[in-house]
Amino acid sequence: MKDRLRIPLLLAPALVVVVVFFVGGLALALLQSLGYMPIIGRYEVSLDAYRAVLRRPDFYQSLLLTAWIAGVSTAVSTILALLCALALRRAFRGRRIATFIFQLNVPIPHVVGAVGVLFLFSQSGFLARLAYAGGLIREPADFPALVFDPLALGIIFEYVWKATCFIGVILLAVLLSLGESYEDAARTLGAGRWQRFRFVILPLLLPGILSSSILVFAFTFGAFEVPLLLGQRFPSALPVLAYRSYTDVDLNARPEAMAMSVIIALIITILVLGYMRTARWAAGSGQS
Amino acid sequence: MKKKAAALSVYVFFLVVLTACSLGVETTVNPPTAVPAAPSAALSAPPNAAPPPGYEGQTWADMVAAARGQEVNFYMWGGSDLINNWVTGYVAQSVADQYGVTLNVVPVADAPEYINKVLGEKEAGRDSDGSVDLVWINGENFRTMRQGDLLYGRWAQFLPSSIYVNANDPSVTNDFGFPVEGYESPYGKAQFVMIYDSARVAEPPRTIDDLLAWIRANPGKFTYPAPPDFTGSAFVRHVCYWAAGGYEPLLGAFDQAVFDEKLPACYAALNDIEPFLWREGQTYPENRTRQQDLFANGEVYFDMAYNPAEAASLVANGRYPDTTRTFVFDTGTIANTHYVAIPYNSPHKAAAMVVANFLLSPEAQLSKALPDNWGDLPALDPALMPAELQGQFAAIPRDPATLSTEELAAHRLPELQAPWLTAIEQGWETEVLQK
Repeated sequence: MKDRLRIPLLLAPALVVVVVFFVGGLALALLQSLGYMPIIGRYEVSLDAYRAVLRRPDFYQSLLLTAWIAGVSTAVSTILALLCALALRRAFRGRRIATFIFQLNVPIPHVVGAVGVLFLFSQSGFLARLAYAGGLIREPADFPALVFDPLALGIIFEYVWKATCFIGVILLAVLLSLGESYEDAARTLGAGRWQRFRFVILPLLLPGILSSSILVFAFTFGAFEVPLLLGQRFPSALPVLAYRSYTDVDLNARPEAMAMSVIIALIITILVLGYMRTARWAAGSGQS
Repeated sequence: MKKKAAALSVYVFFLVVLTACSLGVETTVNPPTAVPAAPSAALSAPPNAAPPPGYEGQTWADMVAAARGQEVNFYMWGGSDLINNWVTGYVAQSVADQYGVTLNVVPVADAPEYINKVLGEKEAGRDSDGSVDLVWINGENFRTMRQGDLLYGRWAQFLPSSIYVNANDPSVTNDFGFPVEGYESPYGKAQFVMIYDSARVAEPPRTIDDLLAWIRANPGKFTYPAPPDFTGSAFVRHVCYWAAGGYEPLLGAFDQAVFDEKLPACYAALNDIEPFLWREGQTYPENRTRQQDLFANGEVYFDMAYNPAEAASLVANGRYPDTTRTFVFDTGTIANTHYVAIPYNSPHKAAAMVVANFLLSPEAQLSKALPDNWGDLPALDPALMPAELQGQFAAIPRDPATLSTEELAAHRLPELQAPWLTAIEQGWETEVLQK
């Protein structure tokens, strides 16, 4: 009885923050997306903003671009993280320092990473200057467009740079806690390197891979600062499009901004739910 | 083993580069240059000026007394190190010394950030204890805040410094065609100029026709910040004035019929040059700061600014080459006034007015006009001042990269009303950017 009271009580401060700021914010966004803004004399509730958003051709272009950025970033960083984690779990001289360096960029903010990418890869950035000094290019425009480019390579690079370490740290923790006994058992049964990876390690890692990569996907789908700094002006990532509507001087553009935010939240929720089902299924099949 | 060491060193290299780059961003801080002593403005409100609401029957001295010890949160565009240094240095120091007011500068990227803040506070019912005391504002943002009843007024007529403001100058009493009516106090004047490097472009194109021809002849060397960026939006308006055969048809209230008749030619011209722009016009600099980077790095050969003296200060702090010069189009460039305003729910209105009064004083306007401090055009009319002050304003030194006040004044075009700006920006988005 005591415990039953204690646990909710202990959780209460965290829950209050989540409910007030997250649920409250979401509810407010939902209200405004329905056009309810007493401040400028709009009381009627309607789906006009959603209709307007879904009629905008640039909305679909932004949606596609955002899916591309989030998809590619997640896939590439997951594969890289897996390779790094596998390499770092073995004992070798300097492993501690290598692991430390590997984790070093986890606390670096995305904005700083984005500015770094800008300095390195823009057409007048560090690499372009090296190429110029080395006589490889004659003027800035000869350097390939790696930021503000149609394929969003700069954005993807920044996300991969950051997410690889994030996923890698999680996978490394899982790998280290597993120990080597499963693999040793497989080896004594005659399993080769690839077989040990494919049938022993991968199934054990799958829940970790899925849960960390969905976090990365959801984040890269909804984050706006990196695409704002490194993205093409048009089409722009969905969160950037929503932000531009939000900062439009015309207050009547706000419902559209909120509608876009609600749509982004909805898409992420659906994806996460689907992913969680897959994860549960994968975990189940991994154990059997 | 070797491979790992190689991978490791690549990583270390990347981190080092990142650190080095972030160090490189820091710019030197110029201490504001000393100003020749100017007699401070009259210490009482102008005769017959009505006290602002909430201060009925009080004098300016009462206001100054009420302000002592208060803290003013000043929300301002923070994109210029020069301006930031002047406000956080000279202004903050002066109001602290002279009035015991603490100035707290909050930099924002764009005015809608603080508008949304005040709006949010109004929605939440925080009608008397808002967090914003003073904002740097003009144009469509002033109009938006007035329409949302988010501003305090009328107060600007009560400032002692306002005696030197020319009440008959329509470009001061109207903010982008919207009457000011004491809801904001003048801060400075701005005029659009084009910036170029005389070492790369010997003779700049002085008409829109010549500029468009130059862009075609020099592919990839021109671009402009994407509207709604303030500066990029102004550049687009110049092309629109040209396409409409002058600004006259676009003056006055917004008229959809005139828009439909005159503006397609403007967007057509901008679309025609698009393949010859930086990156073949597939993308545009997100904001003016990016445009500055492109110009400083030699990726493009032209920059543009709403402050005629900004190029000179960028040369002075080493970002732009010494050969940087500015020019205005023969047909003129757009000029406007910028202001400070007080949100309706500021808890420190007296202190905010004291700061606004200081910003408008001849002392601060002179300091602001010095190229090393900011180089902003004064909002005061020297003709209304005593001879001694007039002399000080006339003696403001001018950099070779800055045009003379006479040349600027002879090439001044009016601003359009805010609904025109919004319509032109939205039209650019759909007709130029997305095509």
